[in-house]
Amino acid sequence: MRKAARLTVLACLFTLVAAMPALAGKLDDIKSRGTLVAGVKDSQRPFGFVDEKTNQIVGFEIDLMQALATRLNAKLELKPVTSSTRIPMLTQGAVDIVAATMTHKKEREDQIDFSITYFMTGQKLLVKKDGGIKSVADLAGKKVGSVKGSTSEQNVKKAQPDCTVISFETYPEAFLALKQGKVQAVTTDESILVGIKNSDDKPEAWDIVGEYISPEPYGLGVAENDSDFRDFVNAALMDMWEKGEYQKIYDKWFGKTTKDYLPLTWKMELWP
Amino acid sequence: MAYQFDFGQVVSGEYGQWILSGLGVTLQISGISIVLSLALGTVIAVLRLSKVKPLVWFAASFTEFFRNTPLLVQIFFWYFGSYSVLPEAVNQWLYARDFEFACGVIALTVYTAAFIAEEIRSGIFSIPKNQLEASRACGLSFLQAMAYVILPQAFRVIIPPLISQFLNLIKNSSLVMTIGVMDLTYMARQIEAHTFHGFEAFTVSTLIYLTISLIVSLGVNLYNRRVLHVRSR
Repeated sequence: MRKAARLTVLACLFTLVAAMPALAGKLDDIKSRGTLVAGVKDSQRPFGFVDEKTNQIVGFEIDLMQALATRLNAKLELKPVTSSTRIPMLTQGAVDIVAATMTHKKEREDQIDFSITYFMTGQKLLVKKDGGIKSVADLAGKKVGSVKGSTSEQNVKKAQPDCTVISFETYPEAFLALKQGKVQAVTTDESILVGIKNSDDKPEAWDIVGEYISPEPYGLGVAENDSDFRDFVNAALMDMWEKGEYQKIYDKWFGKTTKDYLPLTWKMELWP
Repeated sequence: MAYQFDFGQVVSGEYGQWILSGLGVTLQISGISIVLSLALGTVIAVLRLSKVKPLVWFAASFTEFFRNTPLLVQIFFWYFGSYSVLPEAVNQWLYARDFEFACGVIALTVYTAAFIAEEIRSGIFSIPKNQLEASRACGLSFLQAMAYVILPQAFRVIIPPLISQFLNLIKNSSLVMTIGVMDLTYMARQIEAHTFHGFEAFTVSTLIYLTISLIVSLGVNLYNRRVLHVRSR
């Protein structure tokens, strides 16, 4: 009996060790599994949100991930993440890649790796129209809503030390607080603010104001030290840009005919 | 993945300050809520034992309502729901102040008071009924009999369950971070978001919660033994 147990443990250890190299390369992993597991937002128009009619998660980042999955010959599986869970889920291996409006920050490089920038925006303020707040300077002594785990709350605190930042779990909660007058502004990336503003019944009652508090280049998050997979993702992004596929997806979500219109004013870095 | 433990970063410098300020808020909100919930719980328990029917109904529905709904829902109810009920002027007056903290206190107080009321009621039941009758016969009013005869004895009996309610309250106070109160848990998450050393941040905050809880339960037990001369069984 004892011996059998010891043998089982040994066998288990062996399998573990044997399985190690397979774990090392995400690229092989995804191909053998046949699915790409992507961490995406599920309450952030137009990047990733639940479509009211179909009850499916759709959005700009979902389409990007679909294009990537096609290049991998894999099926796309979506897992909703939040600003505070996206990095732990990636380091624990619960998702292969994170496409969740994540700013490429130096400090984050300690834990994960980033692709090249796939979306460029900057942090601004969403305020009530004619509410008297035109820039960060007007926020002195006021309450500002933001979301936990995002870069926005640190940036606004730096730009205006004399304001109180109240952090919520999701942007809809922060916006509700703004509507009820609990905070005088909501701050985050302009691209997200456009989505929040348009989610309201009366978008014209709100204004996006101020200079960029900080630039926010978004990168896809991938596991640390897996350069094969990162190279593949980078090459795929550049390929999408060069073939016009990126612009097509962009127009679908941010084009002139959409209500989240945001002109495409930057260029992806393309390696020769 | 090789994870580099770094407790130094979390407990010193700027982040250490955050932990301390978070601890301050946790102690404040727990302390205020403990005092208020004990007072409110006692009132509710006495109301429920009174002879006036409407008061009894009120106390009973208060207890059942707040004891049987999730605390997180109650916190959101006070914070976001109050907006539709209160007049606009009152809302604006409230929002200019530390409304988040106040909502946290209200939610914790009301929720815990419902439990405490039940503990106190069972404590009062443990005192033989003829003591109340005897005190009334001696000319004490219902409230006087409660205050001088019944409650002092009842509290002695219910100190152990009361401690666990207080400890629950301290632990439950971590939920107020959902409405932006910057307590210990909130700060631990902030540190995680900044440094990604979530393991260390949450280990430190866990140890702090444990320490607070142990101090509270030791303190009340000591008081029990030294001052009230109750032997722990």
